Amino acid sequence: MRVVNFAHGEFLMLGMYAAFWAFTLLHADPYLTLVVAVPLFLAVGWGSYALIMRPIVHTSHNVQVFTTVGLSIVLQNLALVLWTGDARFVRTSYYASVINLGGAVMNLAQAVAFVLAVAATAALFAFMRFSYTGKLMRATAQDRSAAMLMGIDTGRIYALTWSVGIACVGAAGVLLAPVYPVYPTAGLQFVLIAYIAVVLGGLGDMAGALIAALIIAAVEVIGSYTIGTSWKEMLYLLLFIAILVVRPAGFFGQRGSETLGV
Amino acid sequence: MRTYAQAFVFFAAAGLAPLVVDDAFLLDTLVLILVWGCAAGAWNIAGGYAGQISLGHSAFFGLGAYAAALCGVRWNISPWYGVAIGAAVATAAGTVIGFLANRLRGPYFVIATIAVSQVLLLGAARWRGFTAGSEGIPVPFRAGFWTLGIADKRIWVWIVLVLALVVYLLQLYLERSRRGFQLAAVREDEDAALSLGVRARRLKVAAIAASAAFTAVCGALWAQYVGFVDPLYVFSVDLSVRFALAAIIGGLGTALGPFLGSVLVTTVETWLRAEFGGLGSHLVGLYLILYGTALILMVRYAPQGLMGFFRKS
Repeated sequence: MRVVNFAHGEFLMLGMYAAFWAFTLLHADPYLTLVVAVPLFLAVGWGSYALIMRPIVHTSHNVQVFTTVGLSIVLQNLALVLWTGDARFVRTSYYASVINLGGAVMNLAQAVAFVLAVAATAALFAFMRFSYTGKLMRATAQDRSAAMLMGIDTGRIYALTWSVGIACVGAAGVLLAPVYPVYPTAGLQFVLIAYIAVVLGGLGDMAGALIAALIIAAVEVIGSYTIGTSWKEMLYLLLFIAILVVRPAGFFGQRGSETLGV
Repeated sequence: MRTYAQAFVFFAAAGLAPLVVDDAFLLDTLVLILVWGCAAGAWNIAGGYAGQISLGHSAFFGLGAYAAALCGVRWNISPWYGVAIGAAVATAAGTVIGFLANRLRGPYFVIATIAVSQVLLLGAARWRGFTAGSEGIPVPFRAGFWTLGIADKRIWVWIVLVLALVVYLLQLYLERSRRGFQLAAVREDEDAALSLGVRARRLKVAAIAASAAFTAVCGALWAQYVGFVDPLYVFSVDLSVRFALAAIIGGLGTALGPFLGSVLVTTVETWLRAEFGGLGSHLVGLYLILYGTALILMVRYAPQGLMGFFRKS
């Protein structure tokens, strides 16, 4: 879509709250919530696009930046006013369960989140790569006017792309809820990593983003082990800035693509 | 001519107000309006005139605030040195970010500036031995002008008014001078400006560095005025957005706009805090909801800001 959504983390946070409230009020397991959350966030994405993004999607980058930053502030503080700033937890019965894979001990919820995230990424990759709608999305991203001339309803494609993105991040929030505390600014730490992964992997390159995510995870773990956990965020932020300076198009992206204005 | 008249009325009113107003609350609001106005004006130099939208300007504000606070706490020297040190360090940091601006455009640059401010936030919050960590630093109060320990809020109004005038005149210079026109050309179309022989890169770096220096001066004075530096506040993205918001509401790339925007943003915030702040701290989020909504609506319906209304009428 070539729109950087600065409110991405806030939709993730909403996903985490959805899991929390479903668990607290309805005693619904987060993985059950996931089934409802995906269509729900698809609808949230469609609504937010129609209400906020549609009028500005073809304007300058600065307008887009400020609109999504404004949206991020509104959502963050709506959560703060409605649900207070307290950190909340989804304590499932299997909270402390671990699985042992040949000596590597993992938290069960983390392992499940990992498997589902890989599955979702693979599904999304296949959708973008092989489905007709995915092809339309890629065509629209590459050249909007050409896509329009080919008879593609680019307005609908934009709305759909945005909604799919929100649905994915909402699902990610639901998956993260059993592992991490839920609070109004919870999205920031994850979305920062997501931006780094996307830039590192090259914008619009899903396989690149996946490989970049693994690299970041490795840096985080090695950094925590050697320098200390309190400096790990610093480490990947510096890595991020260094990458922006040295190779802004990412490891696999096309060199110079960032100057297109992205 | 009319823009000068508006500016004259604004600054004269701010300068004369302490002579007639005696209420500490109102004077406090006036000082904050001017400080945030200066910060928004400094942001406007990079964001409005040079078109380099940064959401990491709190980095410079925080550097200034820490420079002033550390001068008092660690080295026991006058905070005026802190103003100078903060400005110097921020100029250096601004030059680095200016270099980034030459590599990156659009949203990429915005993300990079946020990353820089977050690095400084983490550094200040974690480096306990030097910055006192995330607890923050109380700025010692030593009475006297040289130590900036001034209890009289009227004096503060005049100190920040001087800074406000300097920032205003610098913006006016960018509006009227050859260099300002060159900068506008870079903002509108960098490639075209380059082809006409404008030194685009150097101008962008200079604009960002100047913007950083004045933001740091604001931060240093603010730290002395408020008396406490909290890393989670002075380096926050919210603060960066606040500078941008005041400039956008007032009018991007106009000299008086950021100050008018600051009048609106600061009074609304002060009022909402006074009204709802006591009812449980999570309601302070209300004014930020208003901020966010204002930001979305302004860029869509009134990208010219308040100054745009003035020009039309």
